[in-house]
Amino acid sequence: MSPLSATECLLQMCDERHELEDYQSGVPRWCTGCGDNAILAAVQRLCRDEGLRPEKTVFVSGIGCSSRLPHYMKTYGFHGIHGRALPIAEGVKMARPDLTVFVNTGDGDCCSIGAAHWIHAIRYNMNLTVFLHDNQIYGLTKKQASPTSPIGTRTNTTPRGSYLEALNPLTVTLGVANVSFVAQAVDWVPEALFDIVTAAYHHKGLSFVRIIQRCPEWMPKTLEPWLHDPNRVQLLHHANGLPLRAGLARVYKNQVEHDPSDINRAREIASSHDIIPVGILYRNPDVPCYEDLLRPDQLRTIDMKRAALDAELDKHTVWPREANLLV
Amino acid sequence: MEAATHAHITFFLTGSRSREHLESVEGLDLRPALLAGYRALDELRYDFPLVLVANRPDGPLVQSLSGVIDEALTATAKGVDGERIRQHGLRIERDLRALVASGATGLLSSLWDGATSWLERDAEPSLDDSLRRIRAAIVVDGEVADCDAALPARLLRHLWVAVQARKVAALHQHLDRLVMKLTDILRADFERSTERRDASHLKASVGKGFGDAFDFDAMSRVLASAGTGDGFPEGRRKRIYQLLAVLTSRAFLPGPDAGVDPDGQPYKFIFGSCSEALDAFRTRMPAVIAMARAMAIAELEIDGQYRESRHDALFDEFGANGLDPQDLAAFPDYLVCVHAGQLPAAEHARLMEILTSGLPIKVLLQIDDILEESPDEQGALTAGMRMRQIAGMAMGLNDVYVMQSSSSNLFRFREHLLRGLQCRGSALFSVFSGASGAASGLPPYLVAAAAMDSRAFPAFVYDPSAGTNWAARFCLDANPQRDLDWPIQRFAYEDERHQKVSDDLAFTVVDFVASDRRYARHLADVPREKWSGHLSAVTESLSRERNGLPTTVPCVLMVDERNILHKVIVDERLIREARRCREMWHSLQELGGIHNSHAEALLARERVAWEERVQQAEPPMPAAIVTAPVAAAALVASPAAVREPERSSDEAYIETVRCSTCNECTTINSKMFAYDQNKQAYIADVTAGTYAQLVEAAESCQVAVIHPGRPRNPQEPDLEDLLKRAAPFR
Ligand SMILES: Cc1ncc(C[n+]2csc(CCOP(=O)(O)OP(=O)(O)O)c2C)c(N)n1
Ligand code: SF4
Ligand code: SF4
Ligand SMILES: [Mg+2]
Repeated sequence: MSPLSATECLLQMCDERHELEDYQSGVPRWCTGCGDNAILAAVQRLCRDEGLRPEKTVFVSGIGCSSRLPHYMKTYGFHGIHGRALPIAEGVKMARPDLTVFVNTGDGDCCSIGAAHWIHAIRYNMNLTVFLHDNQIYGLTKKQASPTSPIGTRTNTTPRGSYLEALNPLTVTLGVANVSFVAQAVDWVPEALFDIVTAAYHHKGLSFVRIIQRCPEWMPKTLEPWLHDPNRVQLLHHANGLPLRAGLARVYKNQVEHDPSDINRAREIASSHDIIPVGILYRNPDVPCYEDLLRPDQLRTIDMKRAALDAELDKHTVWPREANLLV
Repeated sequence: MEAATHAHITFFLTGSRSREHLESVEGLDLRPALLAGYRALDELRYDFPLVLVANRPDGPLVQSLSGVIDEALTATAKGVDGERIRQHGLRIERDLRALVASGATGLLSSLWDGATSWLERDAEPSLDDSLRRIRAAIVVDGEVADCDAALPARLLRHLWVAVQARKVAALHQHLDRLVMKLTDILRADFERSTERRDASHLKASVGKGFGDAFDFDAMSRVLASAGTGDGFPEGRRKRIYQLLAVLTSRAFLPGPDAGVDPDGQPYKFIFGSCSEALDAFRTRMPAVIAMARAMAIAELEIDGQYRESRHDALFDEFGANGLDPQDLAAFPDYLVCVHAGQLPAAEHARLMEILTSGLPIKVLLQIDDILEESPDEQGALTAGMRMRQIAGMAMGLNDVYVMQSSSSNLFRFREHLLRGLQCRGSALFSVFSGASGAASGLPPYLVAAAAMDSRAFPAFVYDPSAGTNWAARFCLDANPQRDLDWPIQRFAYEDERHQKVSDDLAFTVVDFVASDRRYARHLADVPREKWSGHLSAVTESLSRERNGLPTTVPCVLMVDERNILHKVIVDERLIREARRCREMWHSLQELGGIHNSHAEALLARERVAWEERVQQAEPPMPAAIVTAPVAAAALVASPAAVREPERSSDEAYIETVRCSTCNECTTINSKMFAYDQNKQAYIADVTAGTYAQLVEAAESCQVAVIHPGRPRNPQEPDLEDLLKRAAPFR
């Protein structure tokens, strides 16, 4: 990184500082005990610590409990339509590359109705930070099976228990061309959650963070074995990834060193069954971003854009006089 | 002592030559034996001449003629005609090289036309075909430059122009973007103005087709009452207009749009003296500061971040202390080409001023003759001393890019030249042209290469941006056999009995001086019948200080124009200079990490210590200690290792860093439980609720981080039961 010039330093000194409250808006309507609260706290902390300017920050979501997050952020937000958080976010980023764009999406929103967009967003690798709030259920619509519900989950749509193996969002993401950042967090280890969210924000490209999130309302028991046995949570650490925090390491003794540039190992880790790996699985800063590939090398003034638009529309215009000549 | 030996030793000590036992080398046209193979340079394929590529802005900026031909041959010399085309290609390359060596100048394309028109007159038909194909495969064009006195400045100017063109294009683009964005802001402001909402403007914006379909007066009235707010404050509008004025006045940038300075002179960026460059830089500084200031304000303005209360004062003072190298980096650099041989004291002072203040001025310091002798011929004979002093001093400044090279090596240093031209701040290019060879009838390339190989003028690069220490910044790699005092080459010849003999010869600075006719008086030719065992190699004399009367006399092997071998003894003055050169080479080696005395001393100490340990048969270190578990290392390294204070089980508390903000506890009692600045729970007021609430919170906390401690009020109902429930959390 090149050092800041004197001018840049002085300007930084003039920057406004924000408190956590400056990013808070309204009182969340989530159930008490819902893991979404922890995710909200982590992103608000990120905004404050990174000094993100509220008017330059956008949270985009689809539909679901988790997708209500933009309402609770005092930044720009777009509560979109079900499954379409990613394309909306891509549009925002394309039009305004200067904005910091976050995406909050649920397991139903992303992996079910939005699955096609999910795959292509990874391949496009635009500079977005995506949080998959994975509570393994459709929460908002009161308990229907989602693609990530564990096999056998009894829900309103699967009263005898779901029949299919759950889809693994990590292995799916790691299998798509151009994938550049994949991490996993759990809502109940806030220190790790914050570190991972921060690393995701700093990655240039699409950073995909699956956050395993508790839904005490509909899935009160599913995650209990992991909550009660810290050894079933595995901390990933590496000199090129996240360092091990002493406080965490005392509680979570199951630790493994993993180099995030190793995609094969990342895929193995992502396939773990009983263990929940927490940390950065994969990171490749060299994958180009779609918006950079498409960036025009020439400035486009308003007049140029208008001329181009006119030319395009003219192709479809019927000119009355010429039309007359034809008759 | 034999009379001849006596005469040789006398010459060595005094430089006075006895006519009876020694011959003058003058008129013999001798050259060092190792240079015997380089009489006809045009016959050889080497880096020169160069093509200063002018038609490929994105490709290499300079190529060697042989490289250009090779590329063309790779594309054309294939199939059955391949060998024929290759032969013809090499022939035309040889002709071009000879043409350039004879003084022809111009573009590669025109030289090619000249050379081939000459050939084609008596050409075989296939030659025409080969040349046509090769010519079609040559895509680059540009001035052809041979290795001569003009080369360093030519090459540097050529690269400088290309580097600046890129830089200035980027700057223009950046400025254009700022101008466009600012104009957009003004336009948006205008669109909201009362003037804009007037009926005629509204009508004009709809276009001809539907002009009559609306009642624009009514529309205007509606819009006026809608009150979209006033336009910008006048101050902001004025500020933007001022910014636009500065951002569009770019006369002081080089390139086709460059204007004239206040004196009516076109703006120049390449100068023949340091003073002129410094003066120009300083005169233009106010314009540069104004531009940098406007750029910084414009960015804020475009981002909607400019606050008069905060920024006005800052920008009033902007640039009072000049600009730092980072701020200056976006603006054009200056190039100065000067000759070290004619550097008056005042110029020398200005050069130092440039280098010490780190201004974005790149200086080519060229020297055409590195050998200097005190005028009375009594003092020392030195090689490259002046340049060493300046380059050494520049490296001592730590932040100047310094490159030293003979012109023969410049092509191989082209990336270093570019890096130097692209660096922030100042750069010094110290170059020996080899032009002094003219006095001895030697081509500059040969003299320049000999100066580098003989360590008289070693090549090196000091790049402050490459790292923080000498190992990263300093590079000596270009010099041949850089681990040795002098490079060694095999020399094979036939003796008088026509037997093949071969020897390893060191090429020293003595050979370099010996090839220069002006110093012939320091040499004396030993007639063949006087050759004897007391003639020794120069390196041998160098290896030991003389104590008392010398027993051997240093001699160099030289050849005359018929390639007959001569043994030529040299006087002690040359040996002294060679010794000094070698010492200076050692210093450079140390800087480059070769035979570094500190490292070697440390190594020796460690070796002794290790041997002692081995002798005491100490058990070796267990491997486990050497490779400490990484997890433990990471733990120690973790900066955020904040330990929670030790708590007693009687105290009520929350492990706040582990709280997952689930709202359970705060919902139970929002006075007792509160969130901290990271939105994580702590016990804000333990007196604000009951022990029962503490226990309930502990039970509902899914991450089990609430510890209820002991009840404070012994009268609280159901205490016994509560204490039982609290036990797992205490
Ligand atoms: C097009 C469309 N289909 C279906 C729905 C109904 N719907 C609303 S939310 C939701 C599922 C939400 O699940 P998830 O994305 O996992 O979010 P959660 O509530 O679990 O956070 C569904 C199916 C809808 N709103 N729009
Ligand atoms: S239903 Fe589940 S996911 Fe939705 S708010 Fe409640 S706990 Fe959270
Ligand atoms: S109940 Fe536990 S996790 Fe939830 S807010 Fe309170 S302390 Fe935090
Ligand atoms: Mg869900």
